[in-house]
Amino acid sequence: MSNVVLEKVGRNFGEFAAVSEVDLRVNEGEFVTLLGPSGCGKTTTLRMVAGLEQNTNGRISIDNEVVSDVTRGIFVPSERRRLGMVFQSYAIWPHMTVFENIAYPLRVRRRPAAEIRNLVSKTLTLVEMEGFAQRPAPALSGGQQQRVAIARALVFEPKILLLDEPLSNLDAKLRLQMGDEFRAIQRRLGMTTLYVTHDQSEAMALSDRVVVMDHGRIQQVGAPEEIYRYPANRTVAAFFGTPNLLDAEVAACARIDGGRVRLEVVGRGWRGSCEAADGVQLGQAVTVMVRPEHARIASAESVASEKELRWSGRISQTTFRGPSRSIIVEIDNGLFNIDAPAFGDYSVGENVSVIVPQRAAWAVPGR
Amino acid sequence: MAISADDRVGNPGRMPFAASLSASLRLLQAISAGRIGALVLLVAILAFLSIYPLSMLLYGSLHSTPPGVAGTFNLDGYQQVLTRQSLITLLNTVGISLAKTIPSLILAVLLAWILARTDTPFRGALEVLVTLPFFIPPILTAMAWGMLGNPQVGLLNQLYQWLTGSSSSPINVYSYGGVVWHMMQYSVPFLFLLIVDAFRAMDPSLEEAARMCGATRLRTFRTITLQLMLPALTGAAILSFIRGIENFESPLFFGSPAGIRVITTDIYDSINQSSPPQYQYATAVSFVILTLLFLIVLLQWKLLRGRSFTTVSGKGYSPAVMKLGRWRWATFAFCALFFVVTVVLPIGQLLIGSFFKFFGFYQWDTLTLEHYQAVFGSNEFWRGFGNTMLLGLMGATLTMVLGGAVAYISVRTRWRGRSLIDAMAWLPWMMPGIVLGLGFLWGFALLPHAIPIYGTIWALLLAYISLGTPLSVRVMSSAYSQLSYDIEECSRVHGASWLQTMHRIVIALVWPSFAVGWVLVFFGIMRELSASVLLYSVGSEVLSVVLLKLWVNGNAEQVSVIGLMMMVLVMLFRWVQLKVIKARINAL
Repeated sequence: MSNVVLEKVGRNFGEFAAVSEVDLRVNEGEFVTLLGPSGCGKTTTLRMVAGLEQNTNGRISIDNEVVSDVTRGIFVPSERRRLGMVFQSYAIWPHMTVFENIAYPLRVRRRPAAEIRNLVSKTLTLVEMEGFAQRPAPALSGGQQQRVAIARALVFEPKILLLDEPLSNLDAKLRLQMGDEFRAIQRRLGMTTLYVTHDQSEAMALSDRVVVMDHGRIQQVGAPEEIYRYPANRTVAAFFGTPNLLDAEVAACARIDGGRVRLEVVGRGWRGSCEAADGVQLGQAVTVMVRPEHARIASAESVASEKELRWSGRISQTTFRGPSRSIIVEIDNGLFNIDAPAFGDYSVGENVSVIVPQRAAWAVPGR
Repeated sequence: MAISADDRVGNPGRMPFAASLSASLRLLQAISAGRIGALVLLVAILAFLSIYPLSMLLYGSLHSTPPGVAGTFNLDGYQQVLTRQSLITLLNTVGISLAKTIPSLILAVLLAWILARTDTPFRGALEVLVTLPFFIPPILTAMAWGMLGNPQVGLLNQLYQWLTGSSSSPINVYSYGGVVWHMMQYSVPFLFLLIVDAFRAMDPSLEEAARMCGATRLRTFRTITLQLMLPALTGAAILSFIRGIENFESPLFFGSPAGIRVITTDIYDSINQSSPPQYQYATAVSFVILTLLFLIVLLQWKLLRGRSFTTVSGKGYSPAVMKLGRWRWATFAFCALFFVVTVVLPIGQLLIGSFFKFFGFYQWDTLTLEHYQAVFGSNEFWRGFGNTMLLGLMGATLTMVLGGAVAYISVRTRWRGRSLIDAMAWLPWMMPGIVLGLGFLWGFALLPHAIPIYGTIWALLLAYISLGTPLSVRVMSSAYSQLSYDIEECSRVHGASWLQTMHRIVIALVWPSFAVGWVLVFFGIMRELSASVLLYSVGSEVLSVVLLKLWVNGNAEQVSVIGLMMMVLVMLFRWVQLKVIKARINAL
């Protein structure tokens, strides 16, 4: 198994920089996801690793071997990078059977026929498509096509697997199932994987590390929990779910462990403490992020404990969602979204307090 | 469009409310008389344009004398066909068409791949240039190549002799090679236009997947691209093969002088070159070529049924083009060379030929404008020009209206009998111009004297409409089928009558296709020679016939002048088509 290293990689289309200054190291056996809205440069980054797109800046190495270096004029074409890739459209060749599709990379490598048969049937077993070898490709369902595409990418034991939104063409239920199956196969084979998606829950569930991209730049790299809990900026914070973003100003600042600081912040009609990454200045404008599931509703007169933040307001809307209930509370600063238990007793117009543990409030640099 | 009712809305089964049922039934009765009238009229027109000449051919092949002369019914015509010479003619026809289709296909695939899937510089301009020969009347390139490749005084041979100092002439267009070469100049852009969209629309990830699997560019092209294109290529190749069999100009100009006979020139010769004209033989041979074409069409249906791969992905991004690096200048040069050989050389020859006193003898002191004066001072040229313009404008308009009506009925209504209409409109597609011309020749001659079509410009008009209808139906059908029914129904629901709907919505949305089809039909009429040469008479010559007569009389210099004038017309129309109509389509 191998690693992938991108150093200052960029791609310009004329004046427009689709990707710029991407530094990333994918370790051996690691599952890394490039996440971002469409047009953020994640697919371009993946295609540059694949060699389907040529980078205009920087250097890409695979398995400690430079495959593309602009300054030295090195460019190894796709077919010699020994990568497996699954495309968004699956790119199953319609003029071939399932067997021929999967056998293609082996035939290109001139393996003996017996070995090809053996490897293809082993791979078909891996993706649970044993009985389908002789099916013509157009007769496959979406999920089956996806399995064939994965089998084709795995059959020649590539150094690294690249996946370009492989689940986006499946329906919601199948997407969950295929995602889990896929992660299981990846763990079993211990294969280094670079995965592109715009679906945050997919990225959370599958990855060892997530790379959040926007406007062609990396916004943050980290484990899913870390990115969800401690986003680096507003963009990353807003990308996951529908967090409450409250403007405030820093009144006090104290260093705590883990490279973080505790802040005393003052907003319109509220004050309290929260955490932030190092480097925040006194008097700086910040945005305090509170996720809806971390807030709870209490009676209007209840007071916050020492380790809690409190807002007072009025319930303006409740929506039953099955597992939970979404409540919107009008506060001085605007609206506050809360995920409350589904069967609590809430009525519109009621005056309430919103209580949030200090540890769940995270400040990022403000606008 | 003379249709007064639309079944889709008039059909009571589709009405959402029972209350409106009786009202709509009454409406239906009121309009169904008009509908039947329109249908009958359309069937009559189509029958006159396709079934009538075909049955006249059958009659002619079984009747011993020319039209209007008393005779007997016999099978002599078919007996004359069963000779060794006819067998050779048949083999020549098939062989030449095969010999031009295969290299044309290879060239067209190469061009389509270069222009649709690589980063060759100036692809947009090259595409326009490379497809230009398709729009040039073949009679012009035939004459130009007749001068370029003349074994005695041809420019290419003179150039060769000047370069090498030898006195031999390596190029002789009056040969099998010349026939094939001339056909290819039309076939390559024809095939290119048919297949380029298949290349362009292909999901690029199908190829990229192969690259990621370790296949080289060449292997990817061979095992993926080409294989996926195979159904489209087969279809296009068969079409081109059919066109090759129907071709008249190439064997007439380059085959006949060398004694190479194909079926179309055989028909022409037996009427125009033998005395008395052998009508019975000509019509019998016509049936041979019809049978041959029918068999090929059957083969095409068999081969292509269910064999098309949907390779177009839902994703909208433009296919990534292949980076060729330094090779892109080689591919550029290849396309440019094709343009130079198929367009610049013949046009250049016409240009040179038009300014020198005698074609073949190029001295400074023989430069002259007298050919221009002769042409512009000749009545025959202006008459031919006027006839071609009149027939082109009228013929293209009428053909498109007829095709639009047929297409509307066959695509957007559920009228019974619409497949019959469609089939009748398609029938002339299988008839080479010379065969259709022959059928009309008989047909018009047998009409009562009260209908004086024979020998007039109207004979040509009817033949052109018949020849153009299959194309116009195809263009309009695809335009109608791309229009969602919702648009039409929505307009009706919002209170527009059928006529208003047609006027405001359907015609407004379909008119770009109408315009595209119109220009194509106009081009078709301008280049038409094989039917015209049988149907014209003094006073109703068209430009192509004027050209042929001058050429046969050895007046290559005036031919060059008229050829250049036609070329200017072609360029003008092509330019209008690209600039004006393309823009309108993109705006929709």
